[in-house]
Amino acid sequence: MSNPSSPLDLGILPVNKLLGQYAVPAIIAMTASSLYNMVDSIFIGHGVGAMAISGLALTFPFMNLSAAFGAMVGVGASTLISVKLGQKDYKSAQHIFGNVITLTLLLGLLFSAVSLIFLDPILYFFGASAETLPYAREYMEVILLGNVITHGYLTLNSVLRSIGYPRLSMNATILAVIINTILNPLFIYGLDWGIRGSAIATVLAQTISLLWQMKVFNNPKELVHFKRGIYKLKGSIVRDTLGIGMSPFLMNSCACLIVILINRGLGHYGGDLAIGAYGIVNRVVFLFIMIVIGLNQGMQPIAGYNYGAQKYDRVLKVLKVTMLWGTLVTTLGFLVGELMPEWCARAFTTDKELIDISAKGMRIIVMFYPLIGMQMVTTNFFQSIGQAGKSIFLSLTRQLLFLVPLLLVLPQFMGVKGVWLAMPMADAISCIVTGTMLVIQYRKFKQLAVKTS
Amino acid sequence: MKKHIIINVGRQLGSGGRIIGNRIAQDFNIKFYDKELLDLAAQESGFDKRFFERNDEHKGFLKVLFSPFAPIFGSSNPYANQLSDESLFKFQSDAIRKAAEKDSCVFVGRCADYILRDFPNKVDIFITADMADRVKRVSETLDISEKEAEKKCIEGDENRAKYYNYYSAKTWGRAESYDLCINSSVLGIDSTIELVEDFISQKLHL
Repeated sequence: MSNPSSPLDLGILPVNKLLGQYAVPAIIAMTASSLYNMVDSIFIGHGVGAMAISGLALTFPFMNLSAAFGAMVGVGASTLISVKLGQKDYKSAQHIFGNVITLTLLLGLLFSAVSLIFLDPILYFFGASAETLPYAREYMEVILLGNVITHGYLTLNSVLRSIGYPRLSMNATILAVIINTILNPLFIYGLDWGIRGSAIATVLAQTISLLWQMKVFNNPKELVHFKRGIYKLKGSIVRDTLGIGMSPFLMNSCACLIVILINRGLGHYGGDLAIGAYGIVNRVVFLFIMIVIGLNQGMQPIAGYNYGAQKYDRVLKVLKVTMLWGTLVTTLGFLVGELMPEWCARAFTTDKELIDISAKGMRIIVMFYPLIGMQMVTTNFFQSIGQAGKSIFLSLTRQLLFLVPLLLVLPQFMGVKGVWLAMPMADAISCIVTGTMLVIQYRKFKQLAVKTS
Repeated sequence: MKKHIIINVGRQLGSGGRIIGNRIAQDFNIKFYDKELLDLAAQESGFDKRFFERNDEHKGFLKVLFSPFAPIFGSSNPYANQLSDESLFKFQSDAIRKAAEKDSCVFVGRCADYILRDFPNKVDIFITADMADRVKRVSETLDISEKEAEKKCIEGDENRAKYYNYYSAKTWGRAESYDLCINSSVLGIDSTIELVEDFISQKLHL
């Protein structure tokens, strides 16, 4: 499963078939992790109340930040381990694995400690009010106490993938989703633990998943496994791990920053319920975004290989096919958001006002979704063919460069509507920029395709 | 029968490592690979050579920071995209391994000493030289000013060190990473070659 096709197949087999092979597992994984978050919100919304949904939405940036630290170690680690395994250098891979475990523990504990000490001020900074703070605090206290477990689970999942077990890593994710889905209603309704129950369910689900992963790494027959003498930190390994992990760290931190700005804006101009509404809308639309991210992951190897092998007609083909599917998915998101937003919101809450605000917000946010598929696929396409600069620039246009000024300016004139509107506006502008760069690149490829054929 | 041997030459930029490696290859009558490795790697992968040229003995921090292949959502197999630096290195190292299995050869740079670490009859050498000699050699070969040449030497060393330290499990230029480290300025290129060849013969019982 790590290699559904040999490299050569990437240049020969039909593009459609290849995309299916590579994208479907990625889409499943992405959908699973987005369901994970959705489940929490649904049970909290129905079992605890509308204010709890707002409290939960306040913790999103926290989760982003924690994921940022987790990804920094996880991505760095698995890249380094892959490189060493590629050279059959099992001893060095083993050392990296040990170092990564130590790093995960240290960073995880440090993050918990700092966050717990300053929990209230941080949450106020994130946009909490006196009403929403207790919910956010109750939830975060448990999550932060279990933070080391979350990081351990994410890191081991990364490593599992890098040592050639993408399926095990996917199973670990799905296992956590299932346990979380079972425990959530049990703790919230059965034991009446409130929002805290949901957090406990999350941590417990990850604990069980982590134990299962540890069983895999406890087997001395595995290429990398738990072993004495590999845990002492080595300067060069730490430096390389954090160096590679810096890029995903910055991207995740950027996401964190944006959510803080949105929540603060919504809280300031619209009140607590507006934050909760964003929490609901975010959960729904993110499902579609995650599916496109899965598609993109499937496109990467195909576009990359054929670009390297100078088969430009196939590069264009995979770009077109992925873009078509991506657009279909985001258009579906657009239709759902425009036609049945109340129905979506009702899945999370019974509060009339909250449903109303969520529905209005969703209609605004998905305004330009039919174009977003193209934007996301193009951004990732530049990444696939090694043009990192363009890819990062485009990704920042949508998520930072245009969004931040819009978020700061629009509400001054339009109030809370301006906060909602900033998101589709940034989408639209970034689509124009992306489209322009795509056309230029497309023409280049067309010429090259004619030349090489 | 002739013994199957592998000589790996690490070198500071402008230290004469390439010349020394080339002469060793001639004297022992074995194959010589320096830049030629990039052709092998291109063949191995089916990719255009320019991808390997762009990546040749480079692994800068900025490149790591903006690594286009670092995934945002945690999944992370650098081999998923075959144009990633790590994939290109893998192709190149496979090419090196294949070449080494086929014939006796001299490899210059590209972590060959690490890649072939389990090879039985092999000698790893590292060539340094005084800065003045290196600057002179580089400015003459590339026809640039001495100031530019010195900058090139310093940058070249940095790049090679980063590349080597990232992909291998050893440290570039540190004595313990090699069998023999030698400053080619002390005896001059010719006598250095003689000494190194003598060392090789003794180690491999030729």
